[in-house]
Amino acid sequence: MGPLEFLTDHTYRTVFLGTGVIGVVAGAIGVFAYLRRQSMISDVIAHSALPGALGAFLIAVTALGIDGRSLPALLIGAVLTGTAAALLANLVTHVSTIRIDTAMAVVLTLFFGIGMLLLRVISDGPYPGKGGIGDYLFGNASVITTADLRTSAVVGGAVLLLVVLFWKEFAVRTFDPAYASGLGFSARIADPLIFTAIVIATVIGVKAVGLVLMVALVITPAAAARQWVASLPAMVLLSGMIGGLSAGAGTYLSIAVIPAPTGPMIVLVTFAVMVVSLLAAPRRSLITRALARRALRRQLQRELQ
Amino acid sequence: MSFLVGVILLAVVTAVACALPGVFVVLRRESMVVDAMAHAVLPGIVLGYALTHDLRSPVLIVGAAAATLLVVLGSEYLARTGLVAGDAPVGLIFPALFAFGVLLVSRSFGQVHLDTHAVLVGDINLATFTSLTIGGVDLGPRHLWVMLALAVLNAAVIAALYRPLVLVTFDPSYARSIGIRVTGVTTVLMVLVALTVTAAFHAAGAVLVIALIVAPAASASLLTRRIPALIGVTLVIAAAVALGGFWVAYLLDLPTGATMAVGYGVVFLATLAVTGMRRRRVQPTDPAAAAPDTAHDSGETQTAPAA
Repeated sequence: MGPLEFLTDHTYRTVFLGTGVIGVVAGAIGVFAYLRRQSMISDVIAHSALPGALGAFLIAVTALGIDGRSLPALLIGAVLTGTAAALLANLVTHVSTIRIDTAMAVVLTLFFGIGMLLLRVISDGPYPGKGGIGDYLFGNASVITTADLRTSAVVGGAVLLLVVLFWKEFAVRTFDPAYASGLGFSARIADPLIFTAIVIATVIGVKAVGLVLMVALVITPAAAARQWVASLPAMVLLSGMIGGLSAGAGTYLSIAVIPAPTGPMIVLVTFAVMVVSLLAAPRRSLITRALARRALRRQLQRELQ
Repeated sequence: MSFLVGVILLAVVTAVACALPGVFVVLRRESMVVDAMAHAVLPGIVLGYALTHDLRSPVLIVGAAAATLLVVLGSEYLARTGLVAGDAPVGLIFPALFAFGVLLVSRSFGQVHLDTHAVLVGDINLATFTSLTIGGVDLGPRHLWVMLALAVLNAAVIAALYRPLVLVTFDPSYARSIGIRVTGVTTVLMVLVALTVTAAFHAAGAVLVIALIVAPAASASLLTRRIPALIGVTLVIAAAVALGGFWVAYLLDLPTGATMAVGYGVVFLATLAVTGMRRRRVQPTDPAAAAPDTAHDSGETQTAPAA
């Protein structure tokens, strides 16, 4: 199927735009996780969102009697347990001598284990609409509905708006926490805001991309964008663009070229963009560096002769 | 050997084999590196299977161990280039490798049949099915012997390198100054972890492997600060939770891998709660009683390893 045919089909266009929104939001917000050197916390959030998403499904189906696959319910559940896990990991380091990496690993496996138990409960039980519930692990973009697209656009748009409104707080807190406090920006407001943005950007891909690989969508575009630009606004813009375009391209590939789960395909496209950036970005990449070194060596040889 | 006994033994031996190098992984603050390694096993196994079409071929182990080392070396290389910030190097490579593995499996590349559930938390019952029979005698699950051999290997290497390992973990510059080959010792430990992660993956899957390696040592480090005691307590916790987790899963008809993962997490949090409460009760009323203990501890283990 050609790209044009792909985009004129209503279903495919919805899917394409749906993953695109996820890519843009995760890429743009991921810059803050990356620059604050908290990349791996989004891996913890993503894995720990599984029991929340599945718990939300159970509550929606049994107690509320609504469709358990509705994205708002999933997102609320995912945000709750994802946040709880990240806070728990931090709490562990405050009340004991356990380091953050160990706390993250233990909390991640605990929450993910609970998620896998819930998955078993759901697949054994008589719940309506449980088909495809296992897709939350690796994502299935073909199930994105117009309502899902609307939800992710609203939620993602709200998070991006949050970043624009609190731009100064986000920027100063990210680069110089001590200076930010000195200026009177309250860490008590900025940190939870940034953290909330990172959590939402991580779990927004629960349905289409899957939770296991979301960490890649959050930090890989940021690492790629960093090679091309050096200012925060440019990095957020470029990272969002890389995220959105990679997600769109990955979706197209996984539906029209090589039938495969969407999440892994998007991750591979994003990874390819990062590798190219690391190798060939004009100012600080490996090839640029090697060329500069060779030029210097030549110059030195000339001067010595 | 009955099937049930085989499963229980496999669970306990796998837990013990993983927990042993886990002590040093936790002390060296490399717990999240294990996360990356465990995910990288998948593409290694799938590619190995595509080459050999034999799920029991040693090529699979070699391929998977190579993939886990690729993650470690690749992350270290990325960090060394200085182009990637903070803890991102670890998080950049393993999702790509894991995604590659999932794609290969979903395209049933080389007709390998792994379901995603088993990839993540393993299927210890399935791993027990193939028995080792020598001269007509059923010696129990084949994989049990693999894990047993690995546990022995881990114990032997750690025993042989015990002093250098401890020194390199706590004070690499001092270790180097007295002539210990720091890079060599670190590499041996990493190869050991890579082999362990690879072998355990068959029974435990990517996420349970992390719990098996990190959680027992993490729980034990709340209880003791002396390394020999730490190793002992770690092994006891590893075996006890594997046993308990298996029985809970068996009685309640739950998936074994996920139940064990939750079990390790719960035991860690319970240990944290108990030790935290005890510390809070002891400290304000009787600081003198706690003081000599802490002083002793700080000499032993609180020296931060220079990363």
